[in-house]
Amino acid sequence: MGNISNLAYIVLVSTLRMSVPLILAATGGAFSIRCGVSDLGCEGMMIAGAFFGMLGSYITGNPWLGLVSAMLFGAVFSMIHAVMHVTYRVNATISGMCVNLLGTAITPLLLQVIWGIRGKSVQVAAFSALNLEWMKKIPVIGRMMAAQNIIFYLTIVLVVLGWMFLFKTTAGLRMRMVSENPQAASTVGINVTGYKYFGVMMSGVFCGLGGAYLSLGQMNMFIDGMTSGRGYIAVVINAFGRFNPLGALAGSIFFGFFDSLQTVFQGSVIPTQWMMMLPYILTLAVISVGLRKSRSPAGVGKHHD
Amino acid sequence: MREKIQQIKDTKAFQSLITSVIALVISLLLGAVIISLSGYSPVESYKAILGFSLGTKNGIALSLSQATPIMFTGLAVAIAYKVKMINTGAEGQLYVGAIAAAVAGAYITFLPRAVHIPAAMLCGFMAGGLAALFVAFLKVRFGAGEVITSLMLNQVLILFTSYLANGPLKPDGSSLPQTEMVQETARLTRLIPKTQLTTALLVAVITAFILHFILTRTAYGYEMKATGLNVDAAKTAGIHVSGIYLRTFFISGAIAGLCGASMALGTNHRFVEGFSVNYGFAGISVAALAAYNPLGVILSAFLFGVLKAGSITLNRTTAVPMEFVDVIQVLVVILVAAPTLIRTLTRPFSVLAKGGK
Amino acid sequence: MTLIRMSGITKRYPGTVALDRVDFHLKEGEIVSLLGENGAGKTTLMKVLYGMTIPEEGDVFYKEEKVRMRKPTDAIEMGICMVHQHFMLVPAFTVTENIVVGSEPHKGIFLDLEQSKKEVGELIKKFGFHISPDTEVEKLSVGEQQRVEILKALYRKADVIILDEPTAVLTPTEVDELFEILGTLKKEGKSIILITHKLKETIAIADRVVILRDGKLIKDNVDPAQASVESLSEMMVGRHVDLSVRRPAKEIGEVCLHVKDLCVTEDGQDKLKQINLDVHRGEILGIAGIEGNGQTQLIEALTGLRKPQSMTLDLDGTAVSGSADVFLKRKIAHIPEDRLKLGLVKELSIRDNLILGYHREPDFCNKYSLLKRSYIRQYAKKLKERFLVKAPSVETAISSLSGGNQQKVVIARAFSRDPDALIIAHPTRGVDIGAMEYIHQQMTQLRDSGKAILLISADLDEVRVLSDRILVLYEGEIVRESMPGELNEVQLGLLMTGAKSALEKGV
Repeated sequence: MGNISNLAYIVLVSTLRMSVPLILAATGGAFSIRCGVSDLGCEGMMIAGAFFGMLGSYITGNPWLGLVSAMLFGAVFSMIHAVMHVTYRVNATISGMCVNLLGTAITPLLLQVIWGIRGKSVQVAAFSALNLEWMKKIPVIGRMMAAQNIIFYLTIVLVVLGWMFLFKTTAGLRMRMVSENPQAASTVGINVTGYKYFGVMMSGVFCGLGGAYLSLGQMNMFIDGMTSGRGYIAVVINAFGRFNPLGALAGSIFFGFFDSLQTVFQGSVIPTQWMMMLPYILTLAVISVGLRKSRSPAGVGKHHD
Repeated sequence: MREKIQQIKDTKAFQSLITSVIALVISLLLGAVIISLSGYSPVESYKAILGFSLGTKNGIALSLSQATPIMFTGLAVAIAYKVKMINTGAEGQLYVGAIAAAVAGAYITFLPRAVHIPAAMLCGFMAGGLAALFVAFLKVRFGAGEVITSLMLNQVLILFTSYLANGPLKPDGSSLPQTEMVQETARLTRLIPKTQLTTALLVAVITAFILHFILTRTAYGYEMKATGLNVDAAKTAGIHVSGIYLRTFFISGAIAGLCGASMALGTNHRFVEGFSVNYGFAGISVAALAAYNPLGVILSAFLFGVLKAGSITLNRTTAVPMEFVDVIQVLVVILVAAPTLIRTLTRPFSVLAKGGK
Repeated sequence: MTLIRMSGITKRYPGTVALDRVDFHLKEGEIVSLLGENGAGKTTLMKVLYGMTIPEEGDVFYKEEKVRMRKPTDAIEMGICMVHQHFMLVPAFTVTENIVVGSEPHKGIFLDLEQSKKEVGELIKKFGFHISPDTEVEKLSVGEQQRVEILKALYRKADVIILDEPTAVLTPTEVDELFEILGTLKKEGKSIILITHKLKETIAIADRVVILRDGKLIKDNVDPAQASVESLSEMMVGRHVDLSVRRPAKEIGEVCLHVKDLCVTEDGQDKLKQINLDVHRGEILGIAGIEGNGQTQLIEALTGLRKPQSMTLDLDGTAVSGSADVFLKRKIAHIPEDRLKLGLVKELSIRDNLILGYHREPDFCNKYSLLKRSYIRQYAKKLKERFLVKAPSVETAISSLSGGNQQKVVIARAFSRDPDALIIAHPTRGVDIGAMEYIHQQMTQLRDSGKAILLISADLDEVRVLSDRILVLYEGEIVRESMPGELNEVQLGLLMTGAKSALEKGV
């Protein structure tokens, strides 16, 4: 009996931890779609966040500044997507893939140039579990909550703020109009280009933060390719969650559960590769049959002239 | 005469050629910046690259052998893009192609060479094709975008082949994640002895010509072009676009499978975990630089092969990281995708050229 | 008082002069109709007034003061609002959200939804618009959506409202409702500019008519009470045009296309209910109806693009069924309703487009699937000459051609394959008057050579002029058959809106 509840505890803790990067990236994706730009560049922005978050912490010795660096460079990478698609009218899928390719190519190069190493970086100052005594005393969920690090709680706050912005403010209404009918938005004087750049930049900030969680929250280093396609999974979660940060929260926990199974079952009879496949197979299933009811804003990919 | 030149200048083909050339030049310049930021001389580095890759016999062989796998994946990406499908799954497709060919090459013992090699290659062809067909099926049946499904399938397939190479297919007593050695009768001939250059190069070039022929001279190629440019008009004209998507993506994956097969049969003589150095994604750069034209892919793959071979050598003699070629490749894709961006970047130069008129 | 004065407005685009020293004025409380052909410059002139386009030369005066409009918000601030031809609405948003977005009542950064609903509700009541503020716009009818657009202008306290082709998508009844609204607005002191090419409506509602042609002002003080459709159209086109000459069929033969029990269901709705129709050889059968009553589904079912829930289709007595390529092979040709979206691949050349759909036929393609390239080139050259397609060569891309010439390519392709029956949809939409005449000519010629033509068009005039017999399609049913001259335009219009019983009562 004890073993099962122990196992359940491990799985739940792990689920919450694995879901954080997905929540952040999917929320970023929501900002992107809700300004009318495809969110396919999430993976590249995440890996930029992971690397530059680590780098920030390495240079300053402070993981918080690492987070700032991650958000900054996530935004920088997102600007590549924005400039290519919004200003130069490149197909958003292609410009998004360019961001992804750039992130994947530039991070190993930087590892080489800065430290002369391949594969993974040096260890840096990172975030650890909160382990607050008062928190552990909360019944049922207390231990689980204490086992998370501060970024988890930051994420919840950011998701709520993101939801409020999109659906409760005037700026959010205008941005959503840009995603539905950019031409109409421009006729009532809304700065379509401005809102698109803003939305894409926010997606860069969120995705960068999600990536930073990988290198500074889950681990204390950067590993080449550590995002492992999570950015793409976040794109699917975003669609599944109806392009709403609150929906992204629920969907990410669902996926996070499957992602956590591989750590739980490590060393068991089932070869690790099969466990590692689970999130991707799940994504394939969702993208095929689970997105039926999900309708994206009508103006995604369209420009105002 | 001047009118004729202007007419040629106005054609789309010429415009994309110029775009590709300028993109390559700008990317090389940016690569030079990266090299100098790492503390080395870009001029010396590029000289060394060209000197080795084009100047020595070993260099040329290395360039061509580096060009071969990315020529396959470049063709795969290019043909898929003709129907506006983006094959991001070449990596996974070439992995299953490699393992299928390695298995056919290792465990079949009774075939003569002339039959064994094509048979093993065919296994790789089919494996890659089926992987791609699955993705295309999801698109046609469920409307699932092929970009993400291919990427997800990549992970699944690579993990699957890793499982096989670490488990069931691992030879007894071996500690490395790889499969049995391929039979003598299935190994591709080396074109230049003691190099990695095999007959696979010829297969790739011939494939390019076959694809070009299909596109320009057959009714199927016409239907592909129409589907890619305006799928609604193609449907209205009675073209079965679902079939076009399925068949074309199958072909694309199959060509990527051939890439893996040629590596398994030619270079490594077995399937080795992690043998692909991002050939699948390099294919995207190759195809983009070639403006998704099969014949152009031959040249574009060669160019990148030269760069790659040079960077490997450069890394042995200096400490310039090999990875800078990967970044140049991505820059090419970015610049080719945004021709207007190129125009903005080159405007100062064209004004200079015209004498500031 | 002269509210608006525009003088000497000139706007140039590469290769054309859209506006050539045009003067325009608007008095307070008047309804002015700005008349002109496609491309005459009327929309461009209003875009200058609305701040969407900046002219090269000329000045704009508002309330006798010179103003410079750089963007739509400048115009909106001054009280000039435009209701666009293609509605600038968000279908997924509610009426309230659509009206207030861009000028929202707010509490800090937060949207004040309560206040918005209140203000919108008051406006709706004041002008008697009869729509609910909470409905999603996608659930409204076209007429109701237009009212939302007008409410947008009223919410922003517009004094001048510009309407761009407002009646293009309305039924005759909805047009009357709109004119009532315009009358109310005029009484409230608003001034209205109507951009239109509909002559009858101009005469009905406008106080004054301004005519533009080829970017020049022709006349700006036409009194609609003194004008006629003929005099207005002559000023618009610059010559005498008679699009209303009927060329009756010489000889109507046997039934060629026989359709029985055609039913189409889409998203749980019955789009076509038990359609029966016959098209004879040598006849043009016209389907009159407002878009959205099943026309698209009808076209798709009769061209193999949609599998109907049920249908019996016979061509000269033999059954036809299958996909679009089967229909084409069986010689049922198709002129699609949207040429650039469905009929042509604009990046390809004229030559490539001329074999689209027929590319696998034996004269273009041999048994190994190889294209007969030199034959195709000759064929294309012949067709280009015969159908007077204006372009440098057959290698020219479709994107370089004008709308009329593009449509000629579509027509040339279908007409030259010797089809037995043709399904022709909106053949002259977006086509200049010269090409329109030509296409009508070609259609009647084809009919006279013994072909069966089914014409579906939202342009009631076109249907009435060309058809030998008219069927009215309303909500997926054929509600009436009419012989030429039997029913007038108003009666047909009533039938198109379903007012069958009103018609019977002779209302």
